[in-house]
Amino acid sequence: MLMAQPILEARDLTKRYALGGSSVDALRGVSLTVQPGEFVALMGSSGSGKSTLLHLMGGLDRPTSGDVILGGETISDLDDDAATRLRRDQTGFVFQFFNLIPLLDAAENVGLPFTIAGQDPRRGEAAERVRDVFELVDLGGKEHHRPDQLSAGEQQRVAIARALVNRPAIVLADEPTGNLDFTTGGEILEALWRSCAERGQTIVLVTHDAKAAAYADRVEVIQDGLIRDEIVLGRRDDHSAAPLIARLAQLGL
Amino acid sequence: MPGLGRFAWRSLRARPLRTSLSILGIALGVAVLFAALATDAGIDAGVGRTVNDVMGRADLRVGAFEEQGLSAASLAAIRSTPGVMVADPVLEQRTYLQRDALTTATASAGAYASPITVIGVDPALDASSVGLHDLHLDSGRALSAGSTTDLLVPLRLARELGVGVGGTLTILGTNGPTAYRIVGLLSGAGPDPTAGGRGVVVSLASSAALFGSRGASWVDVGLAPAATVDSIADALAQRLTFEPFVLTDRADLATSLRASTAGFEALTALIAAVTLFGGAFLIFNTLSMTLSERVREIGLLRAAGTTRRQVHRLVLVQALILGVAGSFLGLALGFGLSVLIARNVGSLVDAGGPIDGPVVPPLGILLAALVGILVTLAAALEPAIQAGRISPIEALRPAHAGRHSVVSQLRWLGAVVVTVGVAGLALWPIALGPFGLGGAGNGAAGIARPILVYGILLVVTLLTPLILGPLGRIASLPFALFLPAEARLSRGSLARDRKRTALTVGALTIGLAMIVALGGLAGTAHAATDAWLTDVIPGDLVATSIRPIAAGEGVAQQLAAVAGVARVSPIARFSVAFRGVRVDAAAVVGSDLAADGRLTFVAGDRRAALAALDVGGSTIVPQAVAQDFGLQVGDTLQLPIGGGEAIEERIVGIVARGLPGQSGESVLLGWSDATSHFGVLGADAFAIRFVPGQAGAAEPAVASAARGLALEPTPLAGVASAINDAFGRLFSLFDALAILAVVIAGLGIVNTLTMNVYERVREIGILRSAGMTRRQVWRMVVVEAGTMGVVGAFLGCLAGVILGFALGGIAGLASPAGGPTIPWLTIGLAAVFGIGIAMLAAFQPARMASRIAIVRAVQFE
Repeated sequence: MLMAQPILEARDLTKRYALGGSSVDALRGVSLTVQPGEFVALMGSSGSGKSTLLHLMGGLDRPTSGDVILGGETISDLDDDAATRLRRDQTGFVFQFFNLIPLLDAAENVGLPFTIAGQDPRRGEAAERVRDVFELVDLGGKEHHRPDQLSAGEQQRVAIARALVNRPAIVLADEPTGNLDFTTGGEILEALWRSCAERGQTIVLVTHDAKAAAYADRVEVIQDGLIRDEIVLGRRDDHSAAPLIARLAQLGL
Repeated sequence: MPGLGRFAWRSLRARPLRTSLSILGIALGVAVLFAALATDAGIDAGVGRTVNDVMGRADLRVGAFEEQGLSAASLAAIRSTPGVMVADPVLEQRTYLQRDALTTATASAGAYASPITVIGVDPALDASSVGLHDLHLDSGRALSAGSTTDLLVPLRLARELGVGVGGTLTILGTNGPTAYRIVGLLSGAGPDPTAGGRGVVVSLASSAALFGSRGASWVDVGLAPAATVDSIADALAQRLTFEPFVLTDRADLATSLRASTAGFEALTALIAAVTLFGGAFLIFNTLSMTLSERVREIGLLRAAGTTRRQVHRLVLVQALILGVAGSFLGLALGFGLSVLIARNVGSLVDAGGPIDGPVVPPLGILLAALVGILVTLAAALEPAIQAGRISPIEALRPAHAGRHSVVSQLRWLGAVVVTVGVAGLALWPIALGPFGLGGAGNGAAGIARPILVYGILLVVTLLTPLILGPLGRIASLPFALFLPAEARLSRGSLARDRKRTALTVGALTIGLAMIVALGGLAGTAHAATDAWLTDVIPGDLVATSIRPIAAGEGVAQQLAAVAGVARVSPIARFSVAFRGVRVDAAAVVGSDLAADGRLTFVAGDRRAALAALDVGGSTIVPQAVAQDFGLQVGDTLQLPIGGGEAIEERIVGIVARGLPGQSGESVLLGWSDATSHFGVLGADAFAIRFVPGQAGAAEPAVASAARGLALEPTPLAGVASAINDAFGRLFSLFDALAILAVVIAGLGIVNTLTMNVYERVREIGILRSAGMTRRQVWRMVVVEAGTMGVVGAFLGCLAGVILGFALGGIAGLASPAGGPTIPWLTIGLAAVFGIGIAMLAAFQPARMASRIAIVRAVQFE
């Protein structure tokens, strides 16, 4: 893999949450770089800080200290409006629960970033992109189904399509298969991997599941708010989790 | 139950904003209801007081028909009638204060006249043990028996004129001005409510001298202990043959006074009911919302062994807490409101009826509180039943789907609206009946109004969820022009829970409907007043006289000689007796009315009828009088003329509106009949028509000439504006009450939007993560409220126009065009107000939405 200018860079990030009268350190100095087109998994147990790291990298939250640099711009310094615009233009999010707007149909949900930006997702290039991502996630023909008319897996694929439609610099997925059965979860990971392999989409995936992490080129293992280890798997058509599980076992995880 | 009661209380306490808004909503409803009851009780007390003021301790009043009053022979006949203990004559005459007696402020206000009513009483008789009239003195002393210059002035008038005890007022009499010394001030508006607070009291001898030895206007009669009103009335009918007269007893007077305030009482009660209706919507919404966010909690309670009945009780206990708190707060607010209403009504002369101040009716307190609590419980029934249906399995589901079909939503919506509506209808007669709180509530017309109002509001509310989708799309169009993303997302959100949105919009709709309906009624009343004046008065200016001016005096000719005057038409107002009832009559010149194009004929030939009037033996009857007596063209009126005789007047025409009389519209007679048969000595008014285009120059000249002839000139426009001003103040009071209903609706919108935001926390998180700025989120919620406002404003204005038409029809108001007026200005203002209140109500929920933390939102379950 060519080492180009990183698309995303986290520098010495810390995040402290107030909890009642005390405080909790969710991140204690994390640094990480993500190259364009890379598929990175952040793996760790519940409460390890992996989701917090993802939120900071996507500009959903602000770090207590440290910087997040996305596409050469330090987003942790931006005000809310600027960070929001950057999110809209540069990032796509997929969450664990089926984060669709129930009143909008599948196509409207996918076109949401255009709608928010004041564009009509039914016309012009926006419409073209909506069609394109529908094909990518293999949901052709379901454009006008409402969320409650779609299966759980289809709903999550709509969420992925929405994350991809704006051709963002990076897609951040937070436990996207956490609420799905094994087969459906596999379909979701396939869709994410395809976008990465076929279109060069940069993806950061948060998961606690080794089978999901096995789709990544590189796995960052997070524990107690710190990156404990980095496991490089490389780009593979075979997504076997065996090498990763073996490596994790070596680490005693 | 104590455990569940505590649970219910803690649940309300956990949501202080929503609980406070709900309590405030029901409190405002109860406040308006209680204020209406207290005001009506005050009016009722005022009627009782007024009857005492008017008739003193008299059991019967014998009133004169003719200008000369009752003759000495009649007075003697009354006094000698067996069973009559005392006969106390009173002379009443309308006149003017001499202009130099007016304060600078009054004169500079541009008033052409400062009219007063002089009431002559017998001080010696009234001071005796059998005296019938008590005059309530605020300060000073009573009239001296022998004095001819003592004067008693109502306190309110004295303040207006800037005079007090010891001061002097000069009163215009038929023989010129006479100076009187104020010896006492009468409390409040004075003894005669029909004098509009401008009745001054002098001795009978003094008033007789002032007005040229006239007889008594009426004689108040006190009966001996064994005598009855009916027996004395029969005896007087036999004995009084000298001139026509009319008998009035206390019950007649109270009935007529109550009739004058009936419309006011009915309308305040109606607005109270509608406001409470809005409060019920708010309670229903609150409990439904609390329920929808507590589905899992209730599921857990059910799983832990709580029975359905206990869940029902839990919701009803919450409603009871809200109802009791709201009702008590409402009573306190209502008392304050009733004081304000009493002040407003008290400032209206002849429009609102007599009221000294609000009276707190003990049963009214109970009724208002009970209605508040019952309406709250009625509104809670459906949420309670829904809560009971939650199964324990709901506790295990990640989120409550909460989707019902539109039909099922409609069914429940209909059920709650009908429940509240039926409760309102059932309580309506109770509110107005047993406490004697409203004459208008009695009878078919009284009950027709609430049925009509509830019916129209029910239809509008039930239709709302059905048309919400298309209407919402149309309503959001103006917002979509500028904020397409926000408009698109907020529109969908309105359709999320149609029942909730429909109820929220419904509350706004009914408040705005009342404002528009009142605007329509006010507009129709204004138009009717203007039309009435211009239709019946053959002039631009009316010059009135305090004494009859005979044709031979040449006054009309002198006025006609002023440059710019086209025509001067003499008018005399008097009374006739028909079928034992006093009827207002007016002597007019038929040819003048024909030439001036006045009067709208609904039956009979205009030209022939007006010509016949001048010949004699013919009369023209206003439609209202014709309907009252079942008269038509060709019928003959038998009118007594004294001495036991009667003359016949054939009806040659029926007109839409007649000249105003003392208590209704006047039948029109020719001058020849009036002077030869009914004792009319001359004109008491001249209608003066200017040459077109010369009114500006002619008016001051005519006014000056009229004053030189001891006439008081009043331009027609001045009369119309005085009447319209009174209408305006009355309707502004109703508007204020209706605005309260819209404010309650605003509270409902705060509630609904807060709930919508609460239910969409995760959605808002997604939108924020997808690039929606805080400002866009804020605008989205405001646009949502604005869309609700537009829908509510549209439906409210539509329902208001229909209500205005219907209520106008019941009230017998008709605009000159034949249909009620559409109040475009009010519609515009109501729409702006409704949309504004809705968007203002969105402020806090929108702020809350825009501050939602994305990370927490996307993890929110």
